[in-house]
Amino acid sequence: MDLKERVCGELQKEVPKGASFTKFNTQHQQKWEDPSSTSDYSTRIEPPFQAFNQTSQTQSLLLCNNQIKVPMQDGSVNDLLQASKIQDWDPSAMLNNLSFLGQKIHQLQDLVYLIIGRKGQVLGRPDELLVQQQQLVTADLTSIIVQLISTAGSLLPSVKQTLSAATTSLGQCGEFGGVVFPSSAQGLNDGVQPQNAGGSKVSEPPNSVDITSNNGNEQSNHIIEEHELKDEEDAEEGENLLPGTYEILQLEKEEILAPHTHFCTICGKGFKRDANLRMHMRGHGDEYKTPGALAKPTKESSSEPTIIKRYSCPYAGCKRNKDHKKFQPLKTILCVKNHYKRTHCDKSYICSRCNTKKFSVIADLKTHEKHCGKDKWLCSCGTTFSRKDKLFGHITLFQGHTPAIPSDEIKAAPAGTSDGATNKVGSVNFNLSYVSSESEVQSSSMDIKGGIDDAVGYFSPLSFDTCNFGGFHEFPRPPFDDSESSFAFLLSRSCNYSQKSGEE
Amino acid sequence: MLSFQSSKNVLSLTEDLLVRIYELLAAESDRKSFRLVCREFRRIDTLTRRHLRVIRIEFLPILLRKYPRLQSLDLSACPRIDDGVVSLLLTRVGPGSNSPILGHWAWGLKSLVLSRATGLRFSGLEMLARACPCLESVDVSYCCGFGDREAAALSSAVGLRELNMDKCLQLTDVGLAKIAVGCSKLEKLSLKWCMEMTDLGIDLLCKKCVDLKYLDVSYLKVTNESLHSIASLLKLEVLGLMACPLIDDVGLQFIERGCPSLKVIDVSRCEGVSSSGLIFVVRGHRNLLELNAGYCLSQELSTALLHQMKNLNHLEVIRIDGARISETSFQVISANCKSLVEIGLSKCLGVTNMGIMRLVSACINLRVLNLTCCHSITDAAISAIAYSCRSLVCLKVESCNMITEKGLCQLGSFCLLLEEIDLTDCCGVNDKGLEYLSRCSELSCLKLGLCTNISNKGLSYIGFNCLKIHELDLYRCTGIGDDGLEALSNGCKKLRKLNLSYCNEVSDRGLGYIGRLEELSDLEMRALHKITGVGLEAVAVGCKRLADLDMKHCEKVGDSGFWALAYYSKNLRQINLSYCGISDMALCMVMGNLSRLQEAKLVHLSNCTVEGVELALRACCVRIKKVKLFAPLRFMLSSEILEILHARGCIIRWD
Repeated sequence: MDLKERVCGELQKEVPKGASFTKFNTQHQQKWEDPSSTSDYSTRIEPPFQAFNQTSQTQSLLLCNNQIKVPMQDGSVNDLLQASKIQDWDPSAMLNNLSFLGQKIHQLQDLVYLIIGRKGQVLGRPDELLVQQQQLVTADLTSIIVQLISTAGSLLPSVKQTLSAATTSLGQCGEFGGVVFPSSAQGLNDGVQPQNAGGSKVSEPPNSVDITSNNGNEQSNHIIEEHELKDEEDAEEGENLLPGTYEILQLEKEEILAPHTHFCTICGKGFKRDANLRMHMRGHGDEYKTPGALAKPTKESSSEPTIIKRYSCPYAGCKRNKDHKKFQPLKTILCVKNHYKRTHCDKSYICSRCNTKKFSVIADLKTHEKHCGKDKWLCSCGTTFSRKDKLFGHITLFQGHTPAIPSDEIKAAPAGTSDGATNKVGSVNFNLSYVSSESEVQSSSMDIKGGIDDAVGYFSPLSFDTCNFGGFHEFPRPPFDDSESSFAFLLSRSCNYSQKSGEE
Repeated sequence: MLSFQSSKNVLSLTEDLLVRIYELLAAESDRKSFRLVCREFRRIDTLTRRHLRVIRIEFLPILLRKYPRLQSLDLSACPRIDDGVVSLLLTRVGPGSNSPILGHWAWGLKSLVLSRATGLRFSGLEMLARACPCLESVDVSYCCGFGDREAAALSSAVGLRELNMDKCLQLTDVGLAKIAVGCSKLEKLSLKWCMEMTDLGIDLLCKKCVDLKYLDVSYLKVTNESLHSIASLLKLEVLGLMACPLIDDVGLQFIERGCPSLKVIDVSRCEGVSSSGLIFVVRGHRNLLELNAGYCLSQELSTALLHQMKNLNHLEVIRIDGARISETSFQVISANCKSLVEIGLSKCLGVTNMGIMRLVSACINLRVLNLTCCHSITDAAISAIAYSCRSLVCLKVESCNMITEKGLCQLGSFCLLLEEIDLTDCCGVNDKGLEYLSRCSELSCLKLGLCTNISNKGLSYIGFNCLKIHELDLYRCTGIGDDGLEALSNGCKKLRKLNLSYCNEVSDRGLGYIGRLEELSDLEMRALHKITGVGLEAVAVGCKRLADLDMKHCEKVGDSGFWALAYYSKNLRQINLSYCGISDMALCMVMGNLSRLQEAKLVHLSNCTVEGVELALRACCVRIKKVKLFAPLRFMLSSEILEILHARGCIIRWD
């Protein structure tokens, strides 16, 4: 808490910085001053307005802050974060971060002022406008708070908790608010909540936004991650360790599902693997750039006889759970993670190509997506094969199984030209989704009906112009003397003719 | 046919007797006459009719309503049938019926011919397959659009026994697998020119359809692997492997050990197959009935093969076209294969009078003999054939120049069952020869192309005696004129196919006689410089069944003829108007008015403008399937019409 209070103190010194943005004021004032009143709100809102209005000169400040937030949010914050990563951990960097925090907190402060102040100003304004503005302001608030959290998180020297960095910082965010603006946060809640649901937004968005920011951090990790994620469970399948010859470890569910396991002792950033953490550490100073620091921690255990570690799944009743009769231990933590996600978690990753296959481990999805669509050999039972001969072998083996024909062609056929001659074999794109024969039938019969109904479609394969039911409209016999007029006649008739017969 | 005086007696016949009489009428035209007699006869026809071949699709719904007991429906002549038509046929039984009984006509249907029905796609086929529970035989040959999806639709016809999928170019292994799994009772399957097919598909087929008796994989790029699979078919009797370039002797070794029921094998034009491959086949199948090995024996028949052939006592048909053959080979064949019915020696080298004499001395049951381009045979051989093979039905001696009236005299004396003879390019044939030949009153197909020594007189013998002729080829018989055609039209009323190309003497009067041939469906009359619109009009008016007309280079025919054609020849399917003097207007009329026209050749129409051709194409674009045009028009016609034609599936050939 000491630290935070210091931060807070420094922030307040930084406040005047915001003054440089006053030039943006005019626009905003025009927008917000737009007067029209609803008596409804006046009673409730007025008191806080008056209270805060006493702190003068702030209004101009906060207005400008509102405008700059857009570029700040994306560009400069990241830059700052970047800077903090690359630079050594030294007081100046710390100071930078702190000043940034100060700036942000100030913005936040001003925003809250604005909310309260405006409520006083805009007595009797129509509800909707007010609500819209409210939402705008709360969105701004949200973004600023998020920036605060992320920057503040990097200030922490170490986070030695099993919880993810994200949740930690989130928890601290609340404290921040409590420390820095005890009264304003209160006022904010007072002011917003009674009016509409928008009030809840103030508390909610930080969560969601936080997740996205996390993702951003992780992106680089994913790439390395996926290759190794696959080796898991199968690897140890053949292993036959006698019970008791190894130590059984069992991680808790939260531990398993936590996105990160390795955390930077300096900035608290979380990583999925130690190697990535070591790479990250280089940014914190030269001492981390030595080959020794970068090298994989040597396993001294290889020389010494150590107890073999095996893992148990925390899910009771699972074969991988140590209490199971035929317990089969998992070899590594990675195995545990993948096993737990695959077996006991929802499959939340859906293949965007086929929209059918679901995975709980993102790496599985990536692997699938690499082959999705390439597995064009599809059996009626839903099994896919990458090779035609495998499919045919499968069909030979199982009674009643037939190759399934990708659904794309169905859609292509009615849209395509009349007589299939143009329907080239090679052009069929096997971007497939499973289609049972029943649905094929249905869709086909639907097609036909559609074709009959609007058979005017000249090129539709289902149009009837080729068959001329109910008596063929004989080609007209035009007068032969006047060639020009008869030509025109012919032409128009030929058009009519095709349409007319199409309607039958 | 029955006269009106006797109709009272005829009417007193009971229904079952009438049915019996009706069933004895073989020819379609006779049946037509029968049902035109009276209502009762018409009713008999309605009740008894099992087979229907529809020529004009617009009458299809009425016909289907009229004949409830159809077992066989042939729609190959109306390629414009499409999914919509099928759905209509299956849902709308008749305008009067309130309860739409789904395709009542389809319930008893066993055979369906959909050859060239390119408009029919999977949804239509699916409906048909579901509506016809008794379906046993389907022919979808030459349906270019027939692919896997269509095959899948068809595979719901589980009772299918016969399936012809020739030239279904888009069919792949997947479609075949659908068929193989769905129609496991298949006994007869033809896959000619299904070029996408591979060993995998054939292998699956052989594993799923174990009842196969007939399998034709001609022209496929399948390898010996397929033969390995095919060899496991215990019931297979007929195997077609024509022109499979990747099959060789090793593959035939599998056949030697497998296919215990094999009766017929065709390995003609297989580049990889040699005598030794045939030895395997012959060694494994002593009961072989038919061996077709044309154009794969470039060398002389090996003695080893001949030695094996001694065992083929039941062999009925052997075709070794293009092989080199010696007299001793004939000796071996005649001594052992006594039951031979057909021998094909087309373009064989080493065929001599002596060889033929030896052959026919023992093979007295020969009915079909093909000696095309065996230039060295003379009347002696023909005489020997005529004397020995009294039941000869078909003799092909194209370009055997040494045959004269003496040979034909023998044929006319002994081979009275002769139905088909090909004398193309036999200069020795003259009027006298035709007189002898005309004694073969069963003759139905006579080819006299390039026989320049025949005249009207010779033709009149034919016209007088050979009343059953339905095909006559007089290509470049320059001695033929109007009088010959008169004799022909008086006698040969059954004539369906006639070639008069380059018979320069033929004039409008001759065409007038042609107009009397009501059955005529094919007429080729290229370069008849004397004929005009009058002659064409006579043909158009008279030959109502005309389906194919080739009048290239008939430059004098004027518009009046073409107008007549446009008005009267409603059944015309193909027309060649190249180098004709047709005008824009007439072309437009012909193309627009002929509702069955599918193919037109329109090259070098000197009196036509680009606009005229464009308009004509617009007039027929909904139904035309194939059109041949003058190449420069490609850039002169509007892109719109070209796109329309393309979209309708029309193939354009630029010349």
